[in-house]
Amino acid sequence: MTSLQLQNFVKHGKKIMAATTNYRSLLQVLNVPWPEKPTIFLKPTTSYITEGQAIEIPKGFSVNQEIELGVVIEKRCKDIDEREAMEHVGGYCVALDMTATCQMKEARSKGLPWLIGKGFDTACPVSRFISKDEIPDPNNLELWCCVNGKLEEEGNTKDFIFTIPYLISYISHFITLEPYDVLLTGTPGMSAVKPGDEITVFVL
Amino acid sequence: MAASRLKDFVKNGRKIYGAALNYKDPSGDTSKQIQEPVLFFKAPSDYITEGTPIEIPVGFTLVEELELGVIIGKTCKKVTESEALDYVGGYCIGLDMTAVNEMVKARSNNWPWTRCKSFDTSCPVSVFIPKEEIPDPNNVELWCTINGRLQQVGNTKDLVFSAAQLISFISQTHTLEPNDLILTGTPPTPGIVHSGDVIEGGIKEGITIKFIVN
Repeated sequence: MTSLQLQNFVKHGKKIMAATTNYRSLLQVLNVPWPEKPTIFLKPTTSYITEGQAIEIPKGFSVNQEIELGVVIEKRCKDIDEREAMEHVGGYCVALDMTATCQMKEARSKGLPWLIGKGFDTACPVSRFISKDEIPDPNNLELWCCVNGKLEEEGNTKDFIFTIPYLISYISHFITLEPYDVLLTGTPGMSAVKPGDEITVFVL
Repeated sequence: MAASRLKDFVKNGRKIYGAALNYKDPSGDTSKQIQEPVLFFKAPSDYITEGTPIEIPVGFTLVEELELGVIIGKTCKKVTESEALDYVGGYCIGLDMTAVNEMVKARSNNWPWTRCKSFDTSCPVSVFIPKEEIPDPNNVELWCTINGRLQQVGNTKDLVFSAAQLISFISQTHTLEPNDLILTGTPPTPGIVHSGDVIEGGIKEGITIKFIVN
Protein backbone atom coordinates (compact mmCIF):
# COMPACT_ATOMS: atom_id res chain seq x y z
CA MET A 1 0.00 0.00 0.00
CA THR A 2 1.45 3.36 -0.97
CA SER A 3 1.50 6.55 1.08
CA LEU A 4 -1.02 7.91 -1.39
CA GLN A 5 -3.62 5.39 -0.31
CA LEU A 6 -2.80 5.79 3.39
CA GLN A 7 -3.60 9.49 3.04
CA ASN A 8 -7.22 8.35 3.14
CA PHE A 9 -6.90 6.66 6.52
CA VAL A 10 -9.85 8.67 7.89
CA LYS A 11 -12.17 7.50 5.12
CA HIS A 12 -11.06 3.86 5.10
CA GLY A 13 -10.02 3.18 8.69
CA LYS A 14 -12.09 0.80 10.79
CA LYS A 15 -10.38 1.16 14.14
CA ILE A 16 -8.88 3.83 16.34
CA MET A 17 -7.03 2.34 19.29
CA ALA A 18 -5.63 4.59 21.99
CA ALA A 19 -3.18 4.15 24.84
CA THR A 20 -3.86 5.93 28.08
CA THR A 21 -1.34 7.21 30.64
CA ASN A 22 1.72 6.71 28.47
CA TYR A 23 3.99 9.64 29.39
CA ARG A 24 6.25 9.49 32.46
CA SER A 25 5.58 13.14 33.25
CA LEU A 26 1.84 12.44 33.40
CA LEU A 27 2.31 9.77 36.06
CA GLN A 28 3.60 12.43 38.41
CA VAL A 29 0.82 14.89 37.55
CA LEU A 30 -1.91 12.30 38.02
CA ASN A 31 -0.10 10.68 40.97
CA VAL A 32 -0.64 7.19 39.62
CA PRO A 33 1.71 4.20 39.77
CA TRP A 34 3.88 3.02 36.90
CA PRO A 35 1.63 0.78 34.76
CA GLU A 36 2.68 -2.83 34.26
CA LYS A 37 0.96 -3.07 30.89
CA PRO A 38 -0.58 -0.58 28.47
CA THR A 39 -4.23 0.37 28.95
CA ILE A 40 -5.94 0.46 25.57
CA PHE A 41 -9.36 1.80 24.56
CA LEU A 42 -11.29 2.23 21.31
CA LYS A 43 -12.62 5.41 19.73
CA PRO A 44 -15.16 5.04 16.90
CA THR A 45 -14.32 6.12 13.38
CA THR A 46 -17.30 8.48 13.45
CA SER A 47 -15.33 10.57 15.92
CA TYR A 48 -12.85 11.56 13.18
CA ILE A 49 -12.81 15.13 11.91
CA THR A 50 -10.20 16.84 9.78
CA GLU A 51 -8.99 20.43 9.64
CA GLY A 52 -11.73 22.81 8.60
CA GLN A 53 -14.35 20.93 10.62
CA ALA A 54 -15.25 22.13 14.10
CA ILE A 55 -15.14 20.17 17.33
CA GLU A 56 -18.70 19.96 18.73
CA ILE A 57 -19.08 19.74 22.48
CA PRO A 58 -22.20 17.66 23.23
CA LYS A 59 -24.80 19.39 25.38
CA GLY A 60 -23.91 19.14 29.05
CA PHE A 61 -20.38 17.82 28.44
CA SER A 62 -17.14 19.40 29.71
CA VAL A 63 -14.34 18.50 27.35
CA ASN A 64 -10.53 18.35 27.53
CA GLN A 65 -8.15 18.31 24.60
CA GLU A 66 -5.30 15.79 24.69
CA ILE A 67 -2.62 16.08 22.00
CA GLU A 68 -1.26 12.74 20.79
CA LEU A 69 1.00 11.29 18.13
CA GLY A 70 -1.00 8.87 16.00
CA VAL A 71 0.52 5.91 14.18
CA VAL A 72 -1.11 4.78 10.92
CA ILE A 73 -0.84 1.05 10.26
CA GLU A 74 0.07 -0.01 6.73
CA LYS A 75 0.51 -3.76 6.95
CA ARG A 76 -1.78 -6.18 8.74
CA CYS A 77 -0.19 -7.45 11.93
CA LYS A 78 -1.04 -10.18 14.39
CA ASP A 79 1.12 -11.69 17.15
CA ILE A 80 4.16 -9.73 16.02
CA ASP A 81 7.40 -9.11 17.86
CA GLU A 82 8.48 -5.59 18.85
CA ARG A 83 11.49 -5.84 16.54
CA GLU A 84 9.28 -6.13 13.47
CA ALA A 85 6.61 -3.66 14.57
CA MET A 86 7.84 -0.59 12.71
CA GLU A 87 7.77 -2.49 9.39
CA HIS A 88 3.97 -2.44 9.74
CA VAL A 89 3.76 1.33 10.23
CA GLY A 90 2.87 3.36 7.15
CA GLY A 91 3.01 6.83 8.63
CA TYR A 92 1.68 9.13 11.30
CA CYS A 93 -0.80 11.84 12.18
CA VAL A 94 -1.25 14.27 15.00
CA ALA A 95 -4.50 13.91 16.87
CA LEU A 96 -6.53 15.33 19.70
CA ASP A 97 -8.10 12.71 21.93
CA MET A 98 -11.06 14.89 22.96
CA THR A 99 -12.34 13.62 26.29
CA ALA A 100 -15.57 14.35 28.15
CA THR A 101 -14.36 14.73 31.73
CA CYS A 102 -17.60 14.36 33.69
CA GLN A 103 -18.55 11.23 31.76
CA MET A 104 -15.06 9.80 32.29
CA LYS A 105 -15.16 10.55 36.01
CA GLU A 106 -18.51 8.76 36.29
CA ALA A 107 -17.31 5.81 34.18
CA ARG A 108 -14.09 5.42 36.13
CA SER A 109 -15.82 5.68 39.51
CA LYS A 110 -18.26 2.88 38.62
CA GLY A 111 -15.98 0.65 36.54
CA LEU A 112 -18.05 1.34 33.42
CA PRO A 113 -16.91 1.53 29.79
CA TRP A 114 -15.33 4.69 28.41
CA LEU A 115 -17.47 4.84 25.28
CA ILE A 116 -19.47 7.96 26.13
CA GLY A 117 -16.48 9.90 27.49
CA LYS A 118 -14.16 9.13 24.59
CA GLY A 119 -16.36 8.33 21.58
CA PHE A 120 -18.67 11.25 20.78
CA ASP A 121 -18.83 12.73 17.28
CA THR A 122 -15.79 14.99 16.59
CA ALA A 123 -13.84 13.50 19.53
CA CYS A 124 -10.90 12.60 17.26
CA PRO A 125 -9.64 15.58 15.23
CA VAL A 126 -6.64 14.51 13.15
CA SER A 127 -4.05 16.16 10.95
CA ARG A 128 -3.29 15.12 7.41
CA PHE A 129 -1.35 11.91 6.91
CA ILE A 130 2.33 12.39 7.75
CA SER A 131 4.75 10.12 5.90
CA LYS A 132 7.48 8.11 7.62
CA ASP A 133 10.07 10.29 5.82
CA GLU A 134 8.66 13.37 7.54
CA ILE A 135 9.09 11.77 10.99
CA PRO A 136 12.27 9.69 10.76
CA ASP A 137 12.45 9.23 14.53
CA PRO A 138 9.02 8.97 16.23
CA ASN A 139 10.79 8.27 19.54
CA ASN A 140 12.12 11.84 19.81
CA LEU A 141 9.31 14.07 18.64
CA GLU A 142 8.32 17.33 20.30
CA LEU A 143 4.59 17.98 20.64
CA TRP A 144 3.06 21.34 21.58
CA CYS A 145 -0.55 22.29 22.01
CA CYS A 146 -1.82 25.86 22.23
CA VAL A 147 -5.35 26.99 23.05
CA ASN A 148 -6.15 30.52 21.85
CA GLY A 149 -2.45 31.09 21.29
CA LYS A 150 -1.43 30.12 24.83
CA LEU A 151 0.82 27.10 25.31
CA GLU A 152 -1.14 24.52 27.28
CA GLU A 153 0.98 21.42 27.00
CA GLU A 154 4.23 20.23 25.61
CA GLY A 155 5.95 16.93 25.60
CA ASN A 156 8.41 14.69 23.82
CA THR A 157 7.78 11.13 22.76
CA LYS A 158 11.07 10.10 24.33
CA ASP A 159 9.00 10.37 27.53
CA PHE A 160 6.87 7.37 26.49
CA ILE A 161 6.38 4.66 29.08
CA PHE A 162 5.55 2.14 26.34
CA THR A 163 7.23 2.70 22.97
CA ILE A 164 5.43 2.49 19.65
CA PRO A 165 6.90 -0.95 18.81
CA TYR A 166 5.89 -2.25 22.24
CA LEU A 167 2.33 -0.93 21.90
CA ILE A 168 1.91 -2.41 18.41
CA SER A 169 3.29 -5.77 19.50
CA TYR A 170 1.18 -5.81 22.69
CA ILE A 171 -2.07 -4.96 20.91
CA SER A 172 -1.37 -7.38 18.03
CA HIS A 173 -1.36 -10.27 20.52
CA PHE A 174 -5.07 -9.83 21.17
CA ILE A 175 -6.38 -7.73 18.27
CA THR A 176 -5.28 -7.87 14.63
CA LEU A 177 -4.18 -4.44 13.43
CA GLU A 178 -5.18 -3.70 9.85
CA PRO A 179 -4.19 -1.16 7.18
CA TYR A 180 -5.62 2.28 7.96
CA ASP A 181 -5.97 1.49 11.68
CA VAL A 182 -4.70 4.34 13.85
CA LEU A 183 -2.99 3.96 17.20
CA LEU A 184 -3.02 7.05 19.42
CA THR A 185 0.03 6.86 21.67
CA GLY A 186 -1.01 8.83 24.74
CA THR A 187 -0.85 12.47 25.81
CA PRO A 188 1.72 14.45 27.82
CA GLY A 189 -1.06 16.57 29.31
CA MET A 190 -4.54 17.98 28.86
CA SER A 191 -6.57 21.11 29.34
CA ALA A 192 -10.20 22.11 29.21
CA VAL A 193 -11.66 23.75 26.12
CA LYS A 194 -14.90 25.64 25.59
CA PRO A 195 -16.92 26.88 22.60
CA GLY A 196 -15.05 29.49 20.63
CA ASP A 197 -11.61 28.19 21.57
CA GLU A 198 -9.01 27.61 18.88
CA ILE A 199 -6.64 24.67 19.34
CA THR A 200 -3.33 24.63 17.48
CA VAL A 201 -0.84 21.80 17.61
CA PHE A 202 2.80 21.63 16.54
CA VAL A 203 5.19 18.75 16.13
CA LEU A 204 8.91 18.87 15.50
CA MET B 1 -29.10 1.16 2.31
CA ALA B 2 -30.65 -1.76 0.47
CA ALA B 3 -30.83 -5.05 2.36
CA SER B 4 -28.81 -6.62 -0.43
CA ARG B 5 -25.82 -4.45 0.53
CA LEU B 6 -26.38 -4.78 4.27
CA LYS B 7 -25.79 -8.51 3.98
CA ASP B 8 -22.10 -7.54 3.83
CA PHE B 9 -22.27 -5.79 7.21
CA VAL B 10 -19.34 -7.85 8.50
CA LYS B 11 -17.08 -6.77 5.65
CA ASN B 12 -18.20 -3.15 5.54
CA GLY B 13 -19.10 -2.33 9.15
CA ARG B 14 -16.98 0.18 11.04
CA LYS B 15 -18.62 0.07 14.45
CA ILE B 16 -19.96 -2.53 16.85
CA TYR B 17 -21.77 -1.43 20.00
CA GLY B 18 -22.60 -3.75 22.87
CA ALA B 19 -25.20 -3.11 25.57
CA ALA B 20 -24.25 -4.49 28.98
CA LEU B 21 -26.51 -5.50 31.87
CA ASN B 22 -29.52 -5.03 29.62
CA TYR B 23 -31.88 -7.85 30.65
CA LYS B 24 -34.20 -7.49 33.61
CA ASP B 25 -33.62 -9.69 36.60
CA PRO B 26 -35.97 -12.67 36.23
CA SER B 27 -36.87 -12.42 39.92
CA GLY B 28 -38.36 -8.98 39.31
CA ASP B 29 -35.77 -7.30 41.55
CA THR B 30 -34.99 -3.90 40.06
CA SER B 31 -32.66 -2.65 42.79
CA LYS B 32 -29.56 -3.25 40.67
CA GLN B 33 -31.11 -2.37 37.31
CA ILE B 34 -29.15 0.13 35.23
CA GLN B 35 -30.67 3.60 34.95
CA GLU B 36 -29.26 4.34 31.52
CA PRO B 37 -27.66 2.19 28.83
CA VAL B 38 -24.17 0.87 29.54
CA LEU B 39 -22.42 0.69 26.18
CA PHE B 40 -19.04 -0.56 25.03
CA PHE B 41 -17.25 -1.04 21.72
CA LYS B 42 -16.07 -4.13 19.97
CA ALA B 43 -13.73 -3.66 16.98
CA PRO B 44 -14.81 -4.74 13.47
CA SER B 45 -11.75 -7.00 13.34
CA ASP B 46 -13.46 -9.05 16.11
CA TYR B 47 -16.03 -10.39 13.61
CA ILE B 48 -16.10 -14.04 12.56
CA THR B 49 -18.77 -15.91 10.61
CA GLU B 50 -19.81 -19.55 10.72
CA GLY B 51 -17.05 -21.93 9.75
CA THR B 52 -14.39 -19.94 11.60
CA PRO B 53 -13.66 -21.06 15.15
CA ILE B 54 -13.58 -18.91 18.27
CA GLU B 55 -10.04 -18.57 19.64
CA ILE B 56 -9.46 -18.15 23.37
CA PRO B 57 -6.54 -15.70 23.88
CA VAL B 58 -3.81 -17.01 26.19
CA GLY B 59 -4.76 -16.40 29.79
CA PHE B 60 -8.38 -15.40 29.05
CA THR B 61 -11.47 -17.10 30.52
CA LEU B 62 -14.35 -16.61 28.09
CA VAL B 63 -18.10 -16.66 28.42
CA GLU B 64 -20.47 -16.75 25.49
CA GLU B 65 -23.24 -14.15 25.46
CA LEU B 66 -25.92 -14.79 22.87
CA GLU B 67 -27.58 -11.58 21.67
CA LEU B 68 -29.99 -10.12 19.13
CA GLY B 69 -28.01 -7.71 16.96
CA VAL B 70 -29.57 -4.71 15.25
CA ILE B 71 -27.98 -3.55 11.99
CA ILE B 72 -28.37 0.08 11.04
CA GLY B 73 -29.65 0.71 7.51
CA LYS B 74 -29.69 4.53 7.34
CA THR B 75 -27.41 7.19 8.83
CA CYS B 76 -28.97 8.61 11.96
CA LYS B 77 -28.13 11.27 14.49
CA LYS B 78 -30.22 12.51 17.41
CA VAL B 79 -33.22 10.35 16.54
CA THR B 80 -36.21 9.88 18.82
CA GLU B 81 -37.31 6.51 20.15
CA SER B 82 -40.46 6.62 18.04
CA GLU B 83 -38.51 6.97 14.78
CA ALA B 84 -35.49 4.84 15.75
CA LEU B 85 -36.63 1.57 14.17
CA ASP B 86 -37.06 3.37 10.81
CA TYR B 87 -33.26 3.45 10.69
CA VAL B 88 -32.86 -0.30 11.20
CA GLY B 89 -31.89 -2.24 8.11
CA GLY B 90 -31.99 -5.73 9.57
CA TYR B 91 -30.74 -8.00 12.31
CA CYS B 92 -28.34 -10.79 13.18
CA ILE B 93 -27.66 -13.19 15.99
CA GLY B 94 -24.31 -12.64 17.66
CA LEU B 95 -22.14 -13.92 20.47
CA ASP B 96 -20.57 -11.17 22.56
CA MET B 97 -17.59 -13.26 23.67
CA THR B 98 -16.33 -11.75 26.91
CA ALA B 99 -13.16 -12.32 28.93
CA VAL B 100 -14.59 -12.47 32.43
CA ASN B 101 -11.24 -12.55 34.23
CA GLU B 102 -10.15 -9.42 32.34
CA MET B 103 -13.53 -7.83 33.15
CA VAL B 104 -12.94 -8.29 36.88
CA LYS B 105 -9.57 -6.52 36.53
CA ALA B 106 -11.01 -3.74 34.36
CA ARG B 107 -13.89 -2.97 36.71
CA SER B 108 -11.78 -3.05 39.85
CA ASN B 109 -9.04 -0.85 38.32
CA ASN B 110 -11.45 1.50 36.47
CA TRP B 111 -9.87 0.55 33.17
CA PRO B 112 -11.76 0.60 29.90
CA TRP B 113 -13.53 -2.60 28.85
CA THR B 114 -11.63 -2.96 25.60
CA ARG B 115 -9.44 -5.89 26.55
CA CYS B 116 -12.37 -7.89 27.96
CA LYS B 117 -14.78 -7.27 25.12
CA SER B 118 -12.69 -6.69 22.00
CA PHE B 119 -10.25 -9.32 20.78
CA ASP B 120 -9.93 -11.41 17.62
CA THR B 121 -12.95 -13.74 17.15
CA SER B 122 -14.90 -12.10 20.00
CA CYS B 123 -17.86 -11.25 17.74
CA PRO B 124 -19.19 -14.36 15.99
CA VAL B 125 -22.32 -13.48 14.00
CA SER B 126 -24.99 -15.09 11.87
CA VAL B 127 -25.87 -14.08 8.36
CA PHE B 128 -27.83 -10.89 7.85
CA ILE B 129 -31.51 -11.23 8.78
CA PRO B 130 -33.77 -8.95 6.68
CA LYS B 131 -35.94 -6.56 8.67
CA GLU B 132 -39.19 -8.14 7.52
CA GLU B 133 -38.18 -11.48 9.05
CA ILE B 134 -38.32 -9.91 12.53
CA PRO B 135 -41.43 -7.71 12.44
CA ASP B 136 -41.27 -7.12 16.19
CA PRO B 137 -37.77 -6.90 17.69
CA ASN B 138 -39.37 -6.47 21.12
CA ASN B 139 -40.64 -10.07 21.20
CA VAL B 140 -37.84 -12.34 20.01
CA GLU B 141 -37.20 -15.62 21.82
CA LEU B 142 -33.52 -16.46 22.07
CA TRP B 143 -31.75 -19.62 23.16
CA CYS B 144 -28.20 -20.88 23.46
CA THR B 145 -26.64 -24.27 24.19
CA ILE B 146 -23.09 -25.32 24.97
CA ASN B 147 -22.36 -28.90 23.86
CA GLY B 148 -26.08 -29.47 23.51
CA ARG B 149 -26.90 -28.40 27.08
CA LEU B 150 -29.25 -25.42 27.41
CA GLN B 151 -27.34 -22.44 28.80
CA GLN B 152 -29.39 -19.36 27.98
CA VAL B 153 -33.06 -18.64 27.35
CA GLY B 154 -34.65 -15.26 27.03
CA ASN B 155 -36.96 -12.89 25.21
CA THR B 156 -36.18 -9.37 24.07
CA LYS B 157 -39.36 -8.17 25.77
CA ASP B 158 -37.24 -8.42 28.93
CA LEU B 159 -34.66 -5.91 27.72
CA VAL B 160 -34.17 -3.01 30.14
CA PHE B 161 -33.62 -0.71 27.14
CA SER B 162 -35.25 -1.73 23.87
CA ALA B 163 -33.56 -1.62 20.49
CA ALA B 164 -35.31 1.68 19.75
CA GLN B 165 -34.17 3.16 23.06
CA LEU B 166 -30.58 2.05 22.46
CA ILE B 167 -30.53 3.54 18.95
CA SER B 168 -31.97 6.82 20.17
CA PHE B 169 -29.57 7.00 23.14
CA ILE B 170 -26.44 6.25 21.12
CA SER B 171 -27.44 8.60 18.30
CA GLN B 172 -27.60 11.60 20.64
CA THR B 173 -23.79 11.79 20.66
CA HIS B 174 -22.67 9.26 18.03
CA THR B 175 -23.71 9.25 14.39
CA LEU B 176 -24.88 5.74 13.52
CA GLU B 177 -24.10 4.60 9.98
CA PRO B 178 -25.27 1.81 7.68
CA ASN B 179 -23.67 -1.52 8.65
CA ASP B 180 -23.18 -0.45 12.28
CA LEU B 181 -24.15 -3.26 14.65
CA ILE B 182 -25.73 -2.86 18.08
CA LEU B 183 -25.69 -6.01 20.21
CA THR B 184 -28.67 -5.56 22.51
CA GLY B 185 -27.61 -7.55 25.56
CA THR B 186 -27.65 -11.16 26.72
CA PRO B 187 -30.34 -13.05 28.66
CA PRO B 188 -29.61 -15.32 31.61
CA THR B 189 -27.19 -16.93 31.96
CA PRO B 190 -23.94 -16.84 29.94
CA GLY B 191 -21.65 -19.84 30.38
CA ILE B 192 -17.88 -20.29 30.42
CA VAL B 193 -16.55 -22.00 27.30
CA HIS B 194 -13.53 -24.24 26.89
CA SER B 195 -11.46 -25.48 24.04
CA GLY B 196 -13.46 -27.99 21.99
CA ASP B 197 -16.89 -26.69 23.07
CA VAL B 198 -19.67 -26.26 20.51
CA ILE B 199 -21.89 -23.21 20.97
CA GLU B 200 -25.26 -23.18 19.24
CA GLY B 201 -28.02 -20.65 19.52
CA GLY B 202 -30.48 -18.43 17.80
CA ILE B 203 -34.09 -17.42 17.54
CA LYS B 204 -36.74 -19.98 18.52
CA GLU B 205 -38.05 -21.53 15.29
CA GLY B 206 -35.82 -19.12 13.41
CA ILE B 207 -32.23 -18.59 12.42
CA THR B 208 -29.52 -20.50 14.29
CA ILE B 209 -25.76 -20.24 14.59
CA LYS B 210 -23.08 -22.78 15.47
CA PHE B 211 -19.54 -21.98 16.46
CA ILE B 212 -16.74 -24.19 17.69
CA VAL B 213 -14.23 -23.05 20.29
CA ASN B 214 -10.68 -23.90 19.30
